[in-house]
Amino acid sequence: MTLSLGPSVLDSSLYIADLRPKRKESALADLVSRAHEAGAVREPSLLRETLELRERLGTTAIGKGVALPHARSIAVIEPRLMVARSRRGIDWGAADGLPVQLVLLALSPPEHSEEIHHEFVARAVAVARLQRNRQKLIEAPSFEAVAAVLREVSG
Amino acid sequence: MSEVATVLQLHDLDLLLNEALDPKSRARLKKLGFEVQDPVVLQRARARLLQGVDRRWVNHYERALKRYGRAVAVVRDRVCQGCFITLPTSASPNAQESLTVCESCGRILYWR
Ligand SMILES: [Zn+2]
Repeated sequence: MTLSLGPSVLDSSLYIADLRPKRKESALADLVSRAHEAGAVREPSLLRETLELRERLGTTAIGKGVALPHARSIAVIEPRLMVARSRRGIDWGAADGLPVQLVLLALSPPEHSEEIHHEFVARAVAVARLQRNRQKLIEAPSFEAVAAVLREVSG
Repeated sequence: MSEVATVLQLHDLDLLLNEALDPKSRARLKKLGFEVQDPVVLQRARARLLQGVDRRWVNHYERALKRYGRAVAVVRDRVCQGCFITLPTSASPNAQESLTVCESCGRILYWR
C-alpha cells in the first residue's frame, strides 16, 4: 500500500494560505485546530503534544524554507496532508537558519505501519526538495492549484 | 490531565519512541533530511506520564504493548479495533474519564 498525494489525503478545508504565527509551536497549534475543525482529527491537544514531542527529538525543518512535521497518532482518523504557507516566515530551528515559508504536515492514523507512514512523508519530502515545486506551492493562488502541483509531481 | 488522556499520550509517545530507537527507522528519517536526536528526551517524558497513571493500568498497558506493539485500541461501533470482537454493553465506560480494557485481547480501549 502506498499513499499518493492525491485527493484521498488532500482536503481544501485543510489548506492554510497564510499561517500567522512566528513561532513553530503556535503554527503547529493553528494547523491542529484547523484539522480538528475540519473533522480530520479528534483529541486536538493530544495531537499537538505529539507533534511537539517529535520536534523535541529534532526539528522537522528540512531547509530551504520548508518544514515537514509528521505524526502517527491515535488522534488521526484518516491519513491527511495539510499544506500551509507563511508570508512572514516561521522560526522552525532549521539547520540553514532560514525561516519556514512552506509547511507540509503529514498525519497518519496509528493503524498505518511505520513503513507506510514514512513512505507518505517521503513523498512529501520528494516534492518539497525540488526548487521549482517549492516555488509553485508557495506561489499557488488557491488550494486547487496546490493540489494540482502535488498531483502532477507525486504521480 | 485525565488518566485517559495520559494513556493516549503514552500510546503516541511509544510509537515515536519505537521510531527513534530503531536504527533502520532512524536512518530512513535522517536520509529524508530530518533531525533525530537521542531519544532520552522521550524516555524522560514517558517516565513522567507513567507517574500519572494508576499502577494497575500501567501493568495492563505495558503487557499489551509488549504483546501487540500498540497498547491502545479504538472502539468503533462497539467493536474493538484491536481484535475485532463486539464488546458487551456492560464494557462501556461509566464515565468519559475512566479507562476500560478489552476482555478479549487485553488492549486498553479508546471509546470515541
Ligand atoms: Zn480487543
